[in-house]
Amino acid sequence: MEIKSSENESFRLVYEEVFPVVMRVAYHVTYNMDVSEDICQEAFIRFYEKNIDFRSVDEAKYWLIRVTKNLAINVMKRKSREQAMVDKIKKVPKVPVRNGEDALMDSETRTLVREAVEKLPEKLKSVLVLKEYADLNYRQIAGILHISESNVKVRVHRARKIMESMLDREEMHVS
Amino acid sequence: MCLDDQILNTYLDGELTEPWKTQVAEHLNYCTACKARFEQLRSLHAVVSSARLGEDEMAPHQEKVLAFIEKNYIDKKRKVGFLHRDFRVKTPTLLVAAAAFVFVLVGALLVGPDRTVGTDQLIPRVVPTSEGSVVQVRATEGLAAEQVLDSFPLEEILKYLDMKGYEVDLKVKGIQPMGEQPASE
Repeated sequence: MEIKSSENESFRLVYEEVFPVVMRVAYHVTYNMDVSEDICQEAFIRFYEKNIDFRSVDEAKYWLIRVTKNLAINVMKRKSREQAMVDKIKKVPKVPVRNGEDALMDSETRTLVREAVEKLPEKLKSVLVLKEYADLNYRQIAGILHISESNVKVRVHRARKIMESMLDREEMHVS
Repeated sequence: MCLDDQILNTYLDGELTEPWKTQVAEHLNYCTACKARFEQLRSLHAVVSSARLGEDEMAPHQEKVLAFIEKNYIDKKRKVGFLHRDFRVKTPTLLVAAAAFVFVLVGALLVGPDRTVGTDQLIPRVVPTSEGSVVQVRATEGLAAEQVLDSFPLEEILKYLDMKGYEVDLKVKGIQPMGEQPASE
């Protein structure tokens, strides 16, 4: 089905289907709900205003994921620059944002995983987030990031290796 | 260990192609070490993946962002739409519209304002000036003369000029047939 991004019907269809994926990508790169919301808003406004024709909902989805991922990475770069300046002035211990009073057994693990993803280097993080949270295959990830499929394969492997060692250090039993 | 992590990860993601896919599957059937490592990688994937942001967590944001875009972009576009719309009218339609306009204009002039001066009063006030073969008609006595001319319907001015033996050519400025416009889009 052809998609015209400025057509209201198309826009709503894509929004309904793609928002959760895009929000997840933004969130797992930034780990901040408000920032993620802003990023998604910006991505969908660009989508609406650019008036692009896509061959399918999937094509529109890949475009939106790419824009979102770039916006999120830029936010993180800016944030780390600002953080570096703040750190220069005074050492502030970084308090991880935890999920409130969530009493689920799972929530501790989830927090550990999210903290580990946050620490990944940018290139590995992008690939892992698209793999684990956007449920894309290697070919789709390669297309979105403009890298080769074998590069995706290598990065997924490296990212998981680092994730494993970080989670082991937290004494989390993966199996 | 016989299979490295990268192959196992690729296999796990369902991205390994034949014949390696079958070979790995067969190997995992009898090699306990590789099987154990594969299970570790599988649970790592499961744990990482299950830390995803839940749909319930994002639902309010999904509604909020859509409401914002609808209010500030979609609805706005609908409101200013008339001004920004392309008026691409075919030439015959344009001519019909122009004819209708002229008809209305002439009609309005026919039932024009009351006047106290007769047509003959135009005579001393209008002086034809010649520029080559074109004759321009204008009133002579400044503002007052213009007002006098204004009080006559176009039809009567034309009739008067016709009577005096002038051939009158009327042109409507600023309207161009669509076909002659340069294609800018």
